Amino acid sequence: MLWFSSLTGQSTLVGAGGGVTAAKVRRGETENSCHNCCRQPRLCGAMMRKGVEAVLLLSLLFFTSHAKATRYSPPGKPALTRCRSPEKETFTCWWEPGSDGGLPTTYALYYRKENSETVYECPDYHTAGENSCFFNKNDTSIWVNYNITVVATNALGSTFSDPVDIDVVYIVKPNPPEKVTVSVMEDKGWPFLRVSWEPPHKADTRSGWITLIYELRVKLEGEDEWEMHLAGQQKMFNIFSLRSGGTYHVQVRCKPDHGFWSEWSSTSYIKVPDYFHREKSVWILITVFSAFIFLILTWLLHMNSHSLKHCILPPVPGPKIKGFDKQLLKNGKSEDVFSALVVSDFPPTTSSNYEDLLVEYLEVYIPEEQELTLEESKDLHDSCLKSEGSTSDNDSGRGSCDSHTLLMDKREAKEGERQTDQEESQTEAQRQQKDWDEEELTYTHEDMVSPDMSSGRVKTWPSVFSPLPQYTLSPLVQRSSLEMAKQHCLSDSLFPPSSTSSYLIQPGNSTKEALGPSHWDFSLSNKQPQLLHPESQAHSNINISSIGHKQTPVSLLTPALGRTEYVEVQRVNEEDMVLLQPIVCGEGCPQMRQAEDYSKVRGVDSDNMLLLQREVAKEEVDMCPYDDQEADGSTEGCYTSSDINTNQKPPACSYTATPVQDNRTLPASGYVDTATMFTLPTY
Amino acid sequence: MLMMTVKQCGVWVVLLWPYLLSVSIPLDCKEEQGSLSRCPSITQEKLLDRVIQHAELIYRVSEESCSLFEEMFVPFPLRLQRNQAGYTCITKALPIPSSKSEIQQISDKWLLHSVLMLVQSWIEPLVYLQTTLDRYDDAPEMLLNKTKWVSEKLISLEQGVVVLIKKMLDEGMLTTTYSEQGLFQYDVQPEMLESVMRDYTLLSCFKKDAHKMETFLKLLKCRQTDKYNCA
Repeated sequence: MLWFSSLTGQSTLVGAGGGVTAAKVRRGETENSCHNCCRQPRLCGAMMRKGVEAVLLLSLLFFTSHAKATRYSPPGKPALTRCRSPEKETFTCWWEPGSDGGLPTTYALYYRKENSETVYECPDYHTAGENSCFFNKNDTSIWVNYNITVVATNALGSTFSDPVDIDVVYIVKPNPPEKVTVSVMEDKGWPFLRVSWEPPHKADTRSGWITLIYELRVKLEGEDEWEMHLAGQQKMFNIFSLRSGGTYHVQVRCKPDHGFWSEWSSTSYIKVPDYFHREKSVWILITVFSAFIFLILTWLLHMNSHSLKHCILPPVPGPKIKGFDKQLLKNGKSEDVFSALVVSDFPPTTSSNYEDLLVEYLEVYIPEEQELTLEESKDLHDSCLKSEGSTSDNDSGRGSCDSHTLLMDKREAKEGERQTDQEESQTEAQRQQKDWDEEELTYTHEDMVSPDMSSGRVKTWPSVFSPLPQYTLSPLVQRSSLEMAKQHCLSDSLFPPSSTSSYLIQPGNSTKEALGPSHWDFSLSNKQPQLLHPESQAHSNINISSIGHKQTPVSLLTPALGRTEYVEVQRVNEEDMVLLQPIVCGEGCPQMRQAEDYSKVRGVDSDNMLLLQREVAKEEVDMCPYDDQEADGSTEGCYTSSDINTNQKPPACSYTATPVQDNRTLPASGYVDTATMFTLPTY
Repeated sequence: MLMMTVKQCGVWVVLLWPYLLSVSIPLDCKEEQGSLSRCPSITQEKLLDRVIQHAELIYRVSEESCSLFEEMFVPFPLRLQRNQAGYTCITKALPIPSSKSEIQQISDKWLLHSVLMLVQSWIEPLVYLQTTLDRYDDAPEMLLNKTKWVSEKLISLEQGVVVLIKKMLDEGMLTTTYSEQGLFQYDVQPEMLESVMRDYTLLSCFKKDAHKMETFLKLLKCRQTDKYNCA
């Protein structure tokens, strides 16, 4: 009964009350019962029943009192929420209290180290705040686990929490990093953020006790999402690709090897300054500039499109034929087109002007051995046939007229020539001859004016007379020589001053070349009218030839191909006749016949023309057996014999001055061989 | 009366029924990071790793302290003379294997005990060193902090080794510490140079012993994993 009451406070009172009433009842009844018990046993039994009721009542009361005790109860079960160590040297545990049962409750933390039964109580309840327990350095061991229990105690009882095992190493949660600084730096014009921080001061990272890794996050002001960056163990980090002019928020946290992430550090704000996209501006400049250049180029191209077109695609040249009419061609009349092309004066017709093409040049070649014989006759050197331009001749010895000295002599002779011209009597034939002479003079004059020494076409006929003064000449002869100076001996034969002994007068073998006889006309001073007639004939011939000759000297034709005869002046006899004789020449010389003497100088007519005649035995005029020589005839013309004394005068051959067949006379080179064209009129 | 007793007992039991359920049940060890571990004890491997890490740290810091002290106090010509001229290491007398052949022959048990001996013998001298360094006028604070740190960690290491011994060797802890065997003698304050040299000797000896501890522990770990390949 006693301990009943001790446990339940109220029940004791009730019990006490019950006991009191029971006692009172018992007292009352005892007063009555004592007097009656002894006398009546029925009263004792009633007292017994009352005792049991009292006990039952007490028990009921006890239970009811217990049932009514909800306002006051033992405390609820606490629970350890977490234990954390900031630096692996100390740690703290927090718990959550349960219901307190309506009565003041106290909490106690008890811990037990691993493999030890010793129970310790928490050394520090206040450092870490309410409902916490702080373990300092001395109480913290990394070698053992901790078994921790929290007990809640109030007036009605105690409540134990569930125990928890703690390994200090695994509950490390450091403090957030400290001294977070953010600054803007520049890298080649591009800005970037540099974030730096320090580990929490409690964490001993210097000795290696804790190894921390860091993480930071960045976001633009106004945005919701953070950009995370893991920094590892370094305490500095760079952030690139910033928006110009934006404000950034930066936060850092850390974590040990085995442990929890710390809380985020306080936010750092940074504003990025405005910067211009330099790269973009450069590209804009380049684009504008190139567009400008492109426009200029287009304009230039447009301006010069025409010339460029010509340059790249040159136009096809049209036909440039004289007289070609494109229109006609387009019209389709080909006959008209081609008829228009026909030029009237091509090819040149041969008939009319062939005479002009004849060159009446004879080349006189004087061999040295006959110098003496020639001395006399030199002055009466009436025919000075020279072939011009001996370049294309068979005879190679010619060309002596080219020498410079000859030209000088020419000039001298020309002077004399003019003088003599004036002295001449003027007959018709003479006039003609004169004309011809003048022409010749003019020609020579021309030649003198423009001597062409090198070409071998120098007219050196005056020079023929230059050496003449050397010889002893009769006055007549001299005169005649002077007259001869104006002979139409247009040639380029070589007359070296030294070798003037003999002159080879080659008759124009191709006497068909009518021009030849013209050269045979040597006007001598003596007048021999009797010769006039034949001379006239000759003149006529000569005239013809001279006419033809007038034109030819201009061209200065070289002597044509063909056979040539060589005659040499033997002497001039007393009758003023130049005696010619054939000469024996070397190669290239056509066959010479010495059968006849040829071309004895008959005389000089009034016109100062040297008339040659063939030595005729009988008649003056005798037909030369070669008379019928055609143009293509042999060249064995009349030869003068050296024997003047012989009275055998071969018949003088008179070669008709047949028209030169130009076809033959024209050498391949285009030059006319004067030698071939000469005809030797002899009488 | 018996019925009453029975009733009382029944009532008592009814009243005390909540307490019957509060018996703690030991749960399996769960190595969960981020949650409170429920293991009753740390595993042996983990413990050994931690002890090794501890020893490494101690060695590193002791090396830094020694070099700091050398730069600061020891004159240059005397720097190479560490264990000469009468200054021998205090732990020379300990039965600790020193050569490689000896180490190879020693058992795990003796390895651990050697380590423990070393640790325990150095605790007190370091405390003394701390007081000595405080006496220097211009001792840098970093040096003082380091030496203090080392002495603290050494005590912690001792605890760890003890736990390790208990776990590995299933031995009870030897409460008697070897350091109390009077290896260290307190001298009367000598002159400056001698004090410096003595401290210098002390630091260098400790550095060597710390390295020895680390080596023993690492060898022990190696033996745990691969018994026949450890040197």
